[in-house]
Amino acid sequence: MKRAAMLAVLVAVIVVAFVIAKNGGSGSNDRTTSNAASGAPVVIHLVNGRPQGGIRKITVNKGRRVRFKVISDVADEIHVHGYNLHQDVRKGGSVSFDFPATIEGIFDIELESRSEQIASLQVNQ
Amino acid sequence: MTRRRLIAAALVAGPAAGALFPPPALAHGIVSRTDLPIPVWLFGWAAAVVLIVSFAALAALWPTPRLQAAVPRRRLFRLPAAVDVLAGAFGIAALGATVYAGLAGVQDALGNLAPTVIYVVFWVGLVLASVLFGDIWRAFSPWRAIARAASWVSSRVSKGEPPEPLEYPAWLGRWPAAIGILFFAWVELTYKNRDDPSTLAIMILVYTVVMLVGMALYGIETWSERADPFGVYFGLFARLSWLERRDGAVYARSPLAGAAKLSALPGTVPLLCVAIGSTTFDGSENGPIWTRVSPHLTSFFGGGTGGEQWGATVGLLVCIGIVAAFYRIGVGGMSEVGEGHSPGELAARFAHTLIPIAFAYALAHYFSLLVFQGQAMAHLISDPLGHGSDLFGTSHTGIDFNVISASGIWYVQVATLVCGHVAGLVLAHDRAVGMYRDVRDAVRSQYWMLVVMVGFTSLGLWLLSAVNT
Repeated sequence: MKRAAMLAVLVAVIVVAFVIAKNGGSGSNDRTTSNAASGAPVVIHLVNGRPQGGIRKITVNKGRRVRFKVISDVADEIHVHGYNLHQDVRKGGSVSFDFPATIEGIFDIELESRSEQIASLQVNQ
Repeated sequence: MTRRRLIAAALVAGPAAGALFPPPALAHGIVSRTDLPIPVWLFGWAAAVVLIVSFAALAALWPTPRLQAAVPRRRLFRLPAAVDVLAGAFGIAALGATVYAGLAGVQDALGNLAPTVIYVVFWVGLVLASVLFGDIWRAFSPWRAIARAASWVSSRVSKGEPPEPLEYPAWLGRWPAAIGILFFAWVELTYKNRDDPSTLAIMILVYTVVMLVGMALYGIETWSERADPFGVYFGLFARLSWLERRDGAVYARSPLAGAAKLSALPGTVPLLCVAIGSTTFDGSENGPIWTRVSPHLTSFFGGGTGGEQWGATVGLLVCIGIVAAFYRIGVGGMSEVGEGHSPGELAARFAHTLIPIAFAYALAHYFSLLVFQGQAMAHLISDPLGHGSDLFGTSHTGIDFNVISASGIWYVQVATLVCGHVAGLVLAHDRAVGMYRDVRDAVRSQYWMLVVMVGFTSLGLWLLSAVNT
């Protein structure tokens, strides 16, 4: 029994070490829509009040700036949860957000009156 | 030897499989923020600690039961009956305020008092409070308080003896509680109007009527301890507490001793499986598997929010089923060992070992919701209806999302899951050495519980961990 237990612990440690080695170091390996902190802002097109191509993911590191632009074919209010930022957008108009990423976590960005999520903002450590 | 190898392989495969599938982020009843997933390196370390602790526990734990006999308790202080009256009055006032806000306030999930009280303070806060302070819900329960007040008044008014309560059917056990908690989880996680304040208020009123009728028929204590879903649910977690109230005084006891005394009435295992399975579903909702499957389910049920709701219902039931099946496999394996206890008997006698697992799932999963959305209570009590009032001068306080860092949350989550795991193992071990005549059989039976516990803990870690979708 002791030997079986020792063996299992050993195997477990090896598996875990392998997993860590395989994935370690690179914290963000498969981000789909990253916000290149200095590059062009993410643009979200809304068609019938829904984001074209599905809910967009905006990823930034804490301390950088969050920049994105919403081009909408409906009039509504855009709400960044957590940061609690609101801006109105006119029908056929656009609105830009540019603010420092001060809070870690994943936050919904919604069309407020429709309760329709258009993007999710992920602020990494 | 082969079986031993099989178990060792299963133990290793559990966390390893978890690491291979890309894991998800989280969602809850009222969502605006989700945790950053636990990074892979921390997930790996946590899984390793779980395994090492488990095997160390097998070798080091005691050979005779310690938690099941009369456990010494130390008297701390007297608790006068007036405390119950005050707590009950507070409970009734809170119930009234929540229902009123739900019906009369703005119909907005975050602007109205009701959803935050129900999903954060009540559903999450009371679980933690029960573990820390014992069965405080018994005192605060507005339903119990109303029923006790009514019975006190009627005993004053009427001369004769009050009618004897009906005998509570033994086969019913904790089934009403299991079904009630399942329904609550369904509302929280799948129902399309889950954060509509007036709908919630009406549900509270219906619940109140059902509870009062039940207590009138079967007696206040019997009904609260077996059938009142929240009374039973919080009561289970209170069994983990180091505080116990009896005979008008508060006693300190060994923290897990209360759980070991759980009588596994029918419905107890299902209730715990609902608790663990519903949190599992909540955790997997943003995950890759669910993201892939749910569009098909939604369209199968006719699309739209209705289709989403019924698709999610299937997901919820499947998660609960997986949890129940996994536990069943564990006790099935155990029944092969030694004197041949039946799986049914073992399922009941080890039911209490799932309480710390259910607690760890709930706390790890909802900790940040409690810390962040809990702060919203400061402005909600000043402006419960969302009409712009400022009753206590706190209506302009916000939520500070930086009170705890993302890594702080990760460590709380991992620590909670590992502690829940150890507590589950200790309870299972203690029960086994009390049950089996041969200590070697007891230890062998625990290989199976080890598989169950490692499986649940790895699943819990995996649900919270990263690489994200």
